[in-house]
Amino acid sequence: MASNRIEGKKRAVLSILATALMVLFAIFAMVPFAFMFMSSLKPGAEMMRYGLTLKFDPGISSFQNYTALNTYRDGVYWHWYKSSAIIMVMQTAIGLFFSSLVGYGLAMYQFKGRNLVFSLVLIVMMLPFEILLLPMYQLMISMKLMNTYFGAVVPYLVPPFMIFFFRQYCLGIPKELMEAGRIDGCTDYGIFWRIMVPILIPAFGAMTILSCMNSWNNLLWPLIVMQDEKKFTIPIGMGTTITPYGNAYDVLMPGAVMAVVPIIVIYLFAQKTFIAGLTAGSVKG
Amino acid sequence: MQKDSVQQKPLRHRGSFLNDPRIVPYVLVAPFIIFFLVVYLYPLIMTIIMSFQKIDGPNHREFIGLKNYLKLDTRDFRLALQTSGRYAFWDLIVLTLVPLVIACILHSGLAKGSAFFKSLFFIPSLTSIIVAGIVFRLAFGTLETATMNRVMIALGQKPIKWLSYADSGNFVLILLTLWRWNGVNIVYYLSGLQSIPTDYYEAAQIDGANAIQKFTHVTLPGIRPVLIYVITITVLGGFSMFTESVALWQQNNAGGVGRTIVGYMYMVGFKKNNFGLASAVGLTLLALVVAVNLIQLVLMGFFKKED
Amino acid sequence: MKKLLAVLLALMLVAGMCSALAEGEPVKLTLWTFQALHTDLYKAMQEKWNADPSKPTLEIDYQVMPYEEMHDKLTIALQSGEGAPDLVDIEINKFANYLKGDIGLAPMNEYVEPIEDHLVMSRLNNYAKDGKFYGIDHHIGATVLFYNTALLEEAGIDYTTIKTWDDFHEAGKVLLEKTGKPMVVWESADCWSVYPIVNQHGGDWLTPDGKVRMDEPVVIDTLKFMKSMLDDGTAMACPGGNTHSEEFWGWMNGGNCASVSMPFWYLDRFTNYMPDLKGKMKVAAMPLWPDGGHKSAQMGGTGTAVVASSPNVEVAKEFLAFACLSFDGCVTTWKICGFDPILKDVYGSEEMKEPNVFFDYYDQDIFAVLAGVLDDIPDTCISEYFPTASDIVKTQMAYRLVELMEDPEQIAKDCAEELRSQID
Repeated sequence: MASNRIEGKKRAVLSILATALMVLFAIFAMVPFAFMFMSSLKPGAEMMRYGLTLKFDPGISSFQNYTALNTYRDGVYWHWYKSSAIIMVMQTAIGLFFSSLVGYGLAMYQFKGRNLVFSLVLIVMMLPFEILLLPMYQLMISMKLMNTYFGAVVPYLVPPFMIFFFRQYCLGIPKELMEAGRIDGCTDYGIFWRIMVPILIPAFGAMTILSCMNSWNNLLWPLIVMQDEKKFTIPIGMGTTITPYGNAYDVLMPGAVMAVVPIIVIYLFAQKTFIAGLTAGSVKG
Repeated sequence: MQKDSVQQKPLRHRGSFLNDPRIVPYVLVAPFIIFFLVVYLYPLIMTIIMSFQKIDGPNHREFIGLKNYLKLDTRDFRLALQTSGRYAFWDLIVLTLVPLVIACILHSGLAKGSAFFKSLFFIPSLTSIIVAGIVFRLAFGTLETATMNRVMIALGQKPIKWLSYADSGNFVLILLTLWRWNGVNIVYYLSGLQSIPTDYYEAAQIDGANAIQKFTHVTLPGIRPVLIYVITITVLGGFSMFTESVALWQQNNAGGVGRTIVGYMYMVGFKKNNFGLASAVGLTLLALVVAVNLIQLVLMGFFKKED
Repeated sequence: MKKLLAVLLALMLVAGMCSALAEGEPVKLTLWTFQALHTDLYKAMQEKWNADPSKPTLEIDYQVMPYEEMHDKLTIALQSGEGAPDLVDIEINKFANYLKGDIGLAPMNEYVEPIEDHLVMSRLNNYAKDGKFYGIDHHIGATVLFYNTALLEEAGIDYTTIKTWDDFHEAGKVLLEKTGKPMVVWESADCWSVYPIVNQHGGDWLTPDGKVRMDEPVVIDTLKFMKSMLDDGTAMACPGGNTHSEEFWGWMNGGNCASVSMPFWYLDRFTNYMPDLKGKMKVAAMPLWPDGGHKSAQMGGTGTAVVASSPNVEVAKEFLAFACLSFDGCVTTWKICGFDPILKDVYGSEEMKEPNVFFDYYDQDIFAVLAGVLDDIPDTCISEYFPTASDIVKTQMAYRLVELMEDPEQIAKDCAEELRSQID
C-alpha cells in the first residue's frame, strides 16, 4: 500500500491511535495472566488476602511453588504435561492432514453427493459433544481404545470445523491454478501437494493454532478415556485443585503458568519462520 | 475472481483408478465419510434412541415416546434458552466485529509491533480458564471494593452486583469470551486477509478509492468465505457455550443467571442422571443451532454462490 | 485343657489360612476421588493395613479427578456397566443419583450394623436405601457458628451469651450500631446458609417417600427469620454469593463480619485462606430455636463406596471399613483432614487432643463444642429427588430470599411447586 506525502501526517496520527488501541487490548489480554503469574509466586493463603492484586511483595514471593510442583503427588505434573503434549501433537497432525484434504475436495470439485457430505460435516460440527459421551464411551470400550492416547483423539481425527474452514479458504483460490497444474502434467494429488498446500499455509497456520488450543484445553474427553492418572492431561490436573471442599491455589497457579509459558516461547521462536511462510504463501495475482 | 467450477472432463487417464478425476473428489472426502461412519454414526443414533427412553442403569431402558421432549416445557429450560439466546446475540456482534477491526489494523501495519501483539492476543486462549474465572469473579465482585465497582464509583455510577443479575452477568460473560476468543478469531481473519492479492489494493488505489471503499470493495469480498466461517462457528459457540459460564459462576447459578442450554443439559444428564431427557435437550439444541445458522447462511448468500 | 487346645489349633489354622492368603499376589484396587486430601488419609491407612501380615497386601491406584467430571465419569461407567473403579468417593449431593434403578454399589451392612450404637447413624442414612448402607462418610459435618470474637468484643458482645437465634439477632443489632458491620452472611448462590438452618429448625425439603416439605410453616418461619436479619442489615448477602468464593475469603479475613454459619469441615477454610483471623475465631454451637428444633444439622460430605462389580468387592469393603469406621481410621481422619469423625468413641480420647494446626488457630477445645450437640442432630432426607431439590434451593430459594429479598412465603410456595412439578 503506497502512501503519498500529503497522507503522511494523517497516517502518523492513525498509527499512534492504532498502536494505542492495540496496547489497550494487550493489557486486557494480559491482566489475568499477570495475576496468575504474581499469585504463583505467593503462598496460597496470601493470594486471597487482599482480593485481586498485582502487587509484588518481595517478602513473601519466591519460586517455591514451582519447585513444589515437581514433587506434587510424586511429580505427576510432568506426566500430565507429557500426556497433554502427545495428545496435542497427534490430534493436530492427523486433523490437519485429513481435514485439509476433505475441505479442499469439497471446495474445488463438483461431484454427486457433495452437498450431502458437506451437510454432514456441518451437522457433526454442531452436535453438542457432551450428549454423545455415554455412547461414545461404549464405542471406545468395544474398540478397545480405553486408556490409550489414540482413544483420546478419536473424536477429533477429522474435525468438521477444520474441514469447514479449509473449504471456505479454498473457495478463494482461483480454479485456473488446477487447470495449470493439469497442463503441467500433475496428478490431482500432486496439484494439491505442490500447488495448493503452499497457498494454504495461512489456513494451516490458523488451524494449527486452533487445534493446539482445543486439545491443550480439553478436559472432559481425555478424562473419560484415560484410566491411569499418569495419562491425565494438564486441565484435568488443574481441575482437581478447585473442589467444593477446598482449593489448592499453590498448585493451580504455578501449574497454570507452566502450562502456558513453554507454548508461548515455542510460538515466539517459531513466529519468524511462521510469518515468513505466511508471506511466501500468499497469492500473487 | 473466476467463480466457475472446473469442468469434470476426463483429460487423461493414467491407468490408475484413483487418479480418475471423477474419483478424486471421493478419495479426498473419504476420510470424513469413514470417520463419520465409524466414530459418530453409532453415538448419534444412540442419542436419538435415548431421547425417547427412560434410562436407569444398563439394564433399565424403556421407551416412553415423546415424554422427554414434552418435559422441555419447564421454567428452567426456558430460562436456559433465554440465557443462551441473549448471550449468543451479543457474542455474535462482539466476537465478529472486534477481532475484525483488530485484524485489519494488524494487517495494515498501521500499529507498531504487530507481530508482538499477534502473539500477545493469542495468550488468553491458552491461559487456564479456571484462573481466568477467579480473576473475573474478583474483578466483578459483589462488594463496593471490587475492582470494577471502584471504577463505577469513580465514574459516578452506582456499584453493581455484576454476577447476580442476568444483564450485567451477561456483560461479564461476553467480556470473558472476548478475552478468551479474540486472539483466535483474529488469527482466522488474518489468514483471510493474507489471501487477498496485494495488487487488488493497488488497482483500487489507482482507481482513486479511499480507505472505506477499499474495505468494502476489496477486503470484505476477499474475506467473505472466512467471515461466513467465523459467523457460523460464533453462532454455534454462542448457543453451546458452557465452559465460560462454569468458570465464572462455578456450579452456583443463582437465579439461573449463568445456566446455558448445555449447562441445563449437563445438569439434567449428569447431576440428575437422566440421560433420556438430556439427549432430548441436546437434539433440541442441535435443531436450534442448525436453524439459526441456516437463516444466517441464507442471509449471507451462502447457497447462491455454490449452485 | 482339651478345649483350650482345640481353640489354639483352630486359631493356628485360621492364622495359617490368612497368611497363605497374605503371601499370595497383592490385591490391586483402584480408587477415584475428587479430593486430593482424602488420598493422604487412605495412604496412611493403607500403610497400617499392609503392616498387618494377616491381611492381604494392597496396592491401591489413587486417581484424583476434578469434582464434577469424576462424577460424570462414574455415571457413565455405571450406566454402561464397564470401567468403574473398586472404591470411589461420591459427594453427598450426587449420591442419590447412584441409588436409582440398578444400584452399582455394594452395601456395607456387615461392617456398619455391629457398631451401629457407636456411629452417628444419621450420617450413614444419607447414603442408604431400603436399609442398605452404600456409603461411608468421613465426617459428621455438624453445623456450627464460627465467631470473630475480636470484632464482637469491639461491640462489647460475649459470644458465649448467645443462646438462641433471637439473642443472635439482638447481638447483631448492637454490633451493627457500634461497628456498622453485619453479624452474619447468608449465601445467595448456594445452600449452606438456608439448608442447615431450616434443617436445624426441624424442616427439610422432602420426606423419605418423596413428598415435598418445602412450603411447610417451619421452612417459611425460618426464611422469615433470615429475611428479618437482612431487612435491618444485621445479615448481608454473602460477597461472591457463597462462602467458598475468593471474594468472601478476602473480605472475611479483613474482619468485616462477625460470624459464619457453616458445617464443621469449614474449619480448614479459615486456617488455609484467612490467616489474619488466627486466634480471633472461635467455634460455637448454633443458636437454638425457642419453638423446638435441634442443636445442629449435619451437612455436606462424601460417601465412600465400593463398586459392586469390582472383582475384589470383599477386600475393598474390608479396607473401607478399616480406613473409615475403625477407631484408628477416625482419629487419622481428624489428624489429616480436620474432620469431625462419625465414630462417637473417638471424642474425648487422648489421641484427639494432640496439638495440631486447628487447635493452634482456634485455641479452644473444639470437641467440647461438638460433644455438646452430637446427641441431637436430625436426619437429612437425601432421597432420589434430593439433587433436584438442592438445585431449586441453590438457584431459586436462596437467590430470591437473599438477593431479591422477596416474600418468604411466596418463595417457599413457588419452590415447592417447582419441585412437585419436577417429581410428577
